[in-house]
Amino acid sequence: MSGEGNKQQKKRYMLKIDSFAYANKLRNVHPAEKTAFALTTMLLCLIFSSVTLSAVIIILMAGVTVGLAGIPVKTYLRLMFLPFSFLLVGVITVAVSASAGDTVVGANAAEWLVKIKISKIALGITPEGLLAAARLFFKSLGTVSCLYFMSLTTPFVEIAMMMRKIKLPALFIELTEIIYRFIFVLLKTAEDIYTSQSSRWGYSSFKNSMNSLGCLTAALFVRSLHRSQELFTTLTARGYTGQLNVLAPQYPVSAANITLIIIVETFLVISAVLLEVNKFV
Amino acid sequence: MRMLSEIMKSSLKKIKLPVFIILYSAALLLTLPQNAYAMHIMEGFLPVNWAGFWFVLTIPFLILGLRSIQKTVTAAPSVKMLLGLAGAFAFVLSALKIPSVTGSCSHPTGVGLGAIMFGPLAMVVLGCIVLIFQALLLAHGGVTTLGANTFSMAVVGPIAAFVVYRVLKKTGAPGWLAVFLAAAAGNMLTYITTSVQLALAFPLQSGGFAAALAKFLGVFAVTQLPLAIMEGILTVVVFNVLTTYNRQELLELSVITEEVPQ
Repeated sequence: MSGEGNKQQKKRYMLKIDSFAYANKLRNVHPAEKTAFALTTMLLCLIFSSVTLSAVIIILMAGVTVGLAGIPVKTYLRLMFLPFSFLLVGVITVAVSASAGDTVVGANAAEWLVKIKISKIALGITPEGLLAAARLFFKSLGTVSCLYFMSLTTPFVEIAMMMRKIKLPALFIELTEIIYRFIFVLLKTAEDIYTSQSSRWGYSSFKNSMNSLGCLTAALFVRSLHRSQELFTTLTARGYTGQLNVLAPQYPVSAANITLIIIVETFLVISAVLLEVNKFV
Repeated sequence: MRMLSEIMKSSLKKIKLPVFIILYSAALLLTLPQNAYAMHIMEGFLPVNWAGFWFVLTIPFLILGLRSIQKTVTAAPSVKMLLGLAGAFAFVLSALKIPSVTGSCSHPTGVGLGAIMFGPLAMVVLGCIVLIFQALLLAHGGVTTLGANTFSMAVVGPIAAFVVYRVLKKTGAPGWLAVFLAAAAGNMLTYITTSVQLALAFPLQSGGFAAALAKFLGVFAVTQLPLAIMEGILTVVVFNVLTTYNRQELLELSVITEEVPQ
């Protein structure tokens, strides 16, 4: 079954991002440096929305993620292709313009590049639409590559540590930590239930699938409920008073890394401004 | 030589239209098997001002949600674990796939189920956290579009589902119908909100927002309409199983729904 193969693959890749986060060559770099680098670059990519800058950022991030963090090229490429379906639909939808007449009405009326006429409405692609779509395409891929750099090099526990540093509400962080821990437990449970259901022809027809999936969801829900009660009991037994306290690991702050990040970001800002001034795409 | 270029030109003109249609439908078809991504706006897709706007709009709801959870938690500390498990449950659900008629698959949002069980305010916080994990672990959604996605999936969807459920229950509609319509409404409104967000960010030169909205609604309706119905059916099945075999747990949960104010 192709659907099942697909599912297996998806799960493998999901866990893969997380396992790479714990085992990559940049693991011992201070998490604040990594997140600052990823988020600043992401913001620059978003603000300037220039095709050239985005392309530079994609190459830069790919270089850092594959070259410095040691993520295998094949895995990285596969991951980059994951959000492609949304990107394609979204970009094509943005590229297509509609108009009631023969020409596009607007501030700078342009010629259609391609056009279909359905009764009075014309659907087609204009140069402006195409340019906007291209900007969007590269901008999205650029920011996605920044996101991947962060999620592939920084484990979630450290991101939670960062959240604590920027003083997000403690309740919010604690909830994210509980959720993170139990995602893996429940995922395993769901996988086991799915395996046993499908080995009993639980997914042999559409009607069976709906029924099985409903049972799986309900069983998972009840398991979660019991798990939560067990967790609370064990925590209370260990003196839980409403706060989960964990030791934060210490990371060396590297002046060299910070200088490098500042240099790279300044270079990106300057080139972005230059591109903007020269009206380059 | 000139004739050749003329022939090429005319044939190009002839080709254009069918090629365009084929390319467009091919792109649509390509994306159908993996329309799991149609639900969330991907990373970097919204311009900076709109991304910020949705963040600002979502934050008050997040604060309200956190406050209501805090209130419940101080009264009954075990609820925190329960909500944590519920969040993990929602994430795992989103990693599962709904089987559908075309062989394509997508995931349930779980928005309706969560809103009925825990109330819409708690769902804002849970939804936001689940979206963070989807972005980090699945590259599904994103950090910059977190505000917009939280607003559509964790603010509008749950409120719609909750209101529909409560109103139908009050009017004495059968339980399964209330659950079905609540879940379907939660799913549909999430998708409509996403379309509105995209249309606001990318209005058309002619026709502006309204035309753009029609365009986005049209494109995503192909995949989302059947999904909303599917999610409705699935939620009904889940509810039936729960009420048949886990009456006790549901009774315990209804305490929470009362404690988390609307």
